[in-house]
Amino acid sequence: MSGSTANAEPRGEYIVADAGPIADLDFSSRQDFTRRDGAVFLNASRSASSGSMAFPARTICQETAARDMEPIEVGPAGVLYSHSTIHVSATRQTPYTIGYVDFPNGLRVLAQVRGIAADAGCDIPVVLDADADGWFVVPAKKEV
Amino acid sequence: MTQVHMIGAGMIPMGKHRQSSYSGLAVPAVLTALKSAGIAPKDVQSVACGHAFGGMLTAQRIVKEVGIGTVPMVNVDNACSGGATALSLGTRDILEGRAEVVLVIGVDKLTQFGGGTLPLVAEDPEVQQGMVMPAVYGMRARRFLHDRNETPATLAEVSVKARRHGKANPFAQFREDTTVEAVLASRPIADPLTLLQCCPTGDGAAAVVLVSDAYRKKLGAAGVRIAASILHAGQATSGFRNMLHPDISYHSAHDAYEQAGFGPEDLDLAELHDAFTIAELVYYEALGFCPEGEAGIFLKSGRSTYGGDLVVNPSGGLLAKGHPVGCSGVAQAVEVFWHLTGQAGARQVPDAKRALTHVTGGGIAGMDHGACTVHLFEASA
Repeated sequence: MSGSTANAEPRGEYIVADAGPIADLDFSSRQDFTRRDGAVFLNASRSASSGSMAFPARTICQETAARDMEPIEVGPAGVLYSHSTIHVSATRQTPYTIGYVDFPNGLRVLAQVRGIAADAGCDIPVVLDADADGWFVVPAKKEV
Repeated sequence: MTQVHMIGAGMIPMGKHRQSSYSGLAVPAVLTALKSAGIAPKDVQSVACGHAFGGMLTAQRIVKEVGIGTVPMVNVDNACSGGATALSLGTRDILEGRAEVVLVIGVDKLTQFGGGTLPLVAEDPEVQQGMVMPAVYGMRARRFLHDRNETPATLAEVSVKARRHGKANPFAQFREDTTVEAVLASRPIADPLTLLQCCPTGDGAAAVVLVSDAYRKKLGAAGVRIAASILHAGQATSGFRNMLHPDISYHSAHDAYEQAGFGPEDLDLAELHDAFTIAELVYYEALGFCPEGEAGIFLKSGRSTYGGDLVVNPSGGLLAKGHPVGCSGVAQAVEVFWHLTGQAGARQVPDAKRALTHVTGGGIAGMDHGACTVHLFEASA
C-alpha cells in the first residue's frame, strides 16, 4: 500500500491500543509544579516531533496531534504580559488576580498573580512560587 | 448561483424577562419576522436556531407554538456567535438548494443564572484558573492602555457613545445617557473595566426570514441581500498571542470583504461585538475601519457615530442594547434590516445601503475566541 513502511505496526493495531479515554480531569494524580532548591517549576510537556509545548501537560500535541508529548519543566522566571483583578465571581473568593505569563521558551500560561497593584502595568518580570493552595506568580525581586 | 435575501425581521425589547420561557421570548420575534416578510408559518421550509443556554430542542420548543413542524430544524451553540452561526447555516441552506424559505432564530435567557459573569465550561484549564469573560477583555484593556499610551477615559467613551445610541432604540435594555465620569466611577468588575463598561445580564430573542432570489421575486418583496456570510473557529496556540490583534476577527473580516466584493470603506453602518468597551476599539482595527493603532482617535474624533465614516452600533450595541449571547447575532441582523429598509425610526442611519455584523464568542484556553462570524449586507436592488 502506498505510504506504508516496512516496520509499520500491524494493520489496525492502534484502533484498540489508542482507544482509552484521556483522564484529563484526574486532578488527584496530576502534579502541576515541582519545587527544587527553593525554586518552583511548572510541569509542562513538549512534543518530541513538533516542539509544541503545553501546560497543563498533555498527552497529544495540539499542533500536529502526535502522541509524543514529553515532560519538561518551565520557570521559574517569566514576564507578565497582562493581568486583571476580578471583582465578581459565583465560584471563588474575590478579588483575585490572573494574568498571562510568557516564559523564555515561548510557553504562555494563565497564572494566579499575587503581590501586584491592580493598576500595575504590563511586561512585569515575575517568578513562580507555591503554597498549600497551589502555584502562582509574584513580581521578581529587583536586582541590586 | 442564487442570492440570499433577508425579507423579514423581528425582535423583542431586550431586558430582564424572568416571567418568559425561551418560547415566550422568541415567539413574538418569530411572528413579527413572518409578518414583515409577508409569509405564513406553513411557508417556512427550514429552521435554524442559535442559543448558548437554551437546552435541548430550543427551536422546536419555539416554533411548535406557531404551527411550524416537520421541516428540518437545527439547534446550534457557538457561544456568543450562536445566533450568527444559525444565520450562516440558514444562508447555506438556501445557497445549497435545500430550502427557499428559512426561519433563523437567536434567543437566550441569561436571567436564569441570577446575574454575574457568564458561566463558562469548567472543564477548560483556564476556567479552572479563574478565567471569566470580563478578565479576557480586562487583560486586553490593560494591554491597550500600556501599548497605546491611552487612559481609561478612552475606554469609557465607548460606553458613552453606546448609551447615546441606545437612547433612540426602543429595543435597547439601557436608554439613558451616561458620562465618562459615571462610567469610570461605577464599581470595578475586571480591572480596568468597570460595571458600565460591561454588557448587562439580560434576555432577548430575534428572528429573520431568509429566502432565495426566485422566492423573493415571486413575493415581490423588498429586503436585504446577504453579500457575505463567514464563520471561523479559533486556532489554539500555547505560545505568545497579541491580545490586541485577535486573528479570528481579522481573518473573518478579510474573507467577508473578499466574498462580498466590497470593503470597509463602503459601509454605512456596523453592528460589532462590543461586549466590553475595549472590544469595540480592538474590532475597529480588526474589521478595517481604521489602521492598527488608531482605534482611540477613530472613536474620539467621532468617526464611528452619526456624521462620521460609518455608524458603529446604532442600536446601542451589546453594551446598551444588551447581549443575551445566542440572540445577539440575529438581533444585529434585525437592526441592519431595519436600517437598510428605512425602518429604524429615530436612529435611522441616513441613506444606508451597506452594513456589517460581527459577533465573536467564547472563552477557551489557547484561542483568541472560539467562534467568529462576519456578515455583510446590501439593500436589495
